[in-house]
Amino acid sequence: MASSLISGGEVEWITCGISFNCRNDGRTRDEYRPLEVQLGVLAQATGSARVRLGETDVIVGVKAEIGSPDPDRPDCGRLNFAVECSPVASPAFRGRGGDELSGELARALERSLYPGPSGRGGGLDLSALSIVSGKTCWVVYVDVLLLNIGGNLHDAVAAAAKAALTDARIPRVEVVPGEDPTDEPDYEVDDDPAQAQRLDTTGLPLCVTVSQIGAHCVVDLTTEEELCSSAALQVSVNSSGVVCGLTKRRQQGIDPSVLLEMIEVAQRAAAKLHAALGDTLAAQQEQLKAEG
Amino acid sequence: MEYVSPEGLRLDGRRPKELRQLKAQLDVLSTADGSALFEMGNTKVLAAVFGPKPTELRSQEDEKRAIIRCEYAMAAFSTGERRRRGKSDRRATEITKAIRNTLEQTIMTELLPRSQIDIYVQVLQADGGTRCACINAAFLALAAAAVPMRDVVAACAAGYLDSTPLLDLNYMEDSGGGPDVVVAIHPNHSNRVVLLQQDNRVAVETFEEVMELAVAGCRAVADFMRGRLLEHTEALAAARAEGDAAAAAEAAIKQGSDDELEDDDY
Repeated sequence: MASSLISGGEVEWITCGISFNCRNDGRTRDEYRPLEVQLGVLAQATGSARVRLGETDVIVGVKAEIGSPDPDRPDCGRLNFAVECSPVASPAFRGRGGDELSGELARALERSLYPGPSGRGGGLDLSALSIVSGKTCWVVYVDVLLLNIGGNLHDAVAAAAKAALTDARIPRVEVVPGEDPTDEPDYEVDDDPAQAQRLDTTGLPLCVTVSQIGAHCVVDLTTEEELCSSAALQVSVNSSGVVCGLTKRRQQGIDPSVLLEMIEVAQRAAAKLHAALGDTLAAQQEQLKAEG
Repeated sequence: MEYVSPEGLRLDGRRPKELRQLKAQLDVLSTADGSALFEMGNTKVLAAVFGPKPTELRSQEDEKRAIIRCEYAMAAFSTGERRRRGKSDRRATEITKAIRNTLEQTIMTELLPRSQIDIYVQVLQADGGTRCACINAAFLALAAAAVPMRDVVAACAAGYLDSTPLLDLNYMEDSGGGPDVVVAIHPNHSNRVVLLQQDNRVAVETFEEVMELAVAGCRAVADFMRGRLLEHTEALAAARAEGDAAAAAEAAIKQGSDDELEDDDY
């Protein structure tokens, strides 16, 4: 991660502010910064989104390619996450410097979406991506690029991935059987965007990182606030309020009673976040439709 | 494959000597000291500058000048076909070196001994002319970071297909098999050439024509960038003037209330 310096005085200031429920930018402990979402920012991608959460800036490109399914799940498509920390975000990401963070972010995304053995029950219904059982399916690559760091990367990345997958238009594929039953079937890919298949992303969870600063639980930390926090819990919650994943982060331990409080805080914050994201996505899609 | 129609139109409807649409935005990233987003048609590049700052590795420190560190990265979604590239990809290394070399000639490094300037370029969308867009974006980011430079540096590419010199090739034209000449110049120093690369075979007379076209393209890009920098500076000055005026108004109000207090006290 980018190394930042913070003085004891600043830590004291921020911690006191939080105990008074008034942060440096005027927010309360359970308030998120405004979430800015732009859909369709990459012309060549199947779906794309750019999300800004305060200063944190993330761009996600979704590409769907035809491939073969996992032998364990012949009736499902595949979802592949990759995160890249762009060197423009920080000199610390030069060369292989960003590998650890990008690996962490990618795994966090994957783990929140684990489907059941049938391909359903996870965040995304993978069986909808199947073309020919056991032979062909859509492989959806979700590539996340971090452009600027302003704190709370995990939450921004999860929101951006959900937005991009909502924007994705998977081309319709028609399987044309060969003349002989033993022939390989032919695939006709329909390029018409109006005919494209949209993914059902209502089940995709969002991540809420609840951090402990002093004696209080706070969400959506800025970079300075993150330097004051000793422990954090990342909770993935879907739009029905169901917890889909948990990860404890940072150096210090969390008291079990505080843990339960953090989960509740996360569920409340997630409900608001889902609503905010839902509104923005709907507005963006209306705008895109109006523009034609 | 026909690259220039009988009416003289290219694949994307441009005339042979027409540049693609240029767009630039400055200070788009908050953490970097200077940043810029540069677009040439569908090619979109983001550049960030960190520095000048003290050299990170003592062993690399130069007591006479600043050292430049550069990195070029292409997003997996930047090309038509999704491809995850390693940073040590040979093409990336070569482009990084070309960008660094061009900027080392442009930045007045002798004014900043023992320091380091990091320049990072991230390609968001690639449609031909990526190295040119990278150099242009890096120049704007350096200007936004107030790094002293000898001159504007502007880059542009030109080629030759269907017996016509073509300016600013896109990806399809680039893959056409004709010569591809990449040039970067300092326009205010008699168009002195700071970068020149050429792919594929070309006759010397054709090369001269194509080179001249590329240099003209560079000058047009330089004019555009200068215009954007002036606009950006004017906007900053206006914002600062507003800020000063607001601060002055606040101070006047405070002075007024202090005076009142004094009257009440006595």
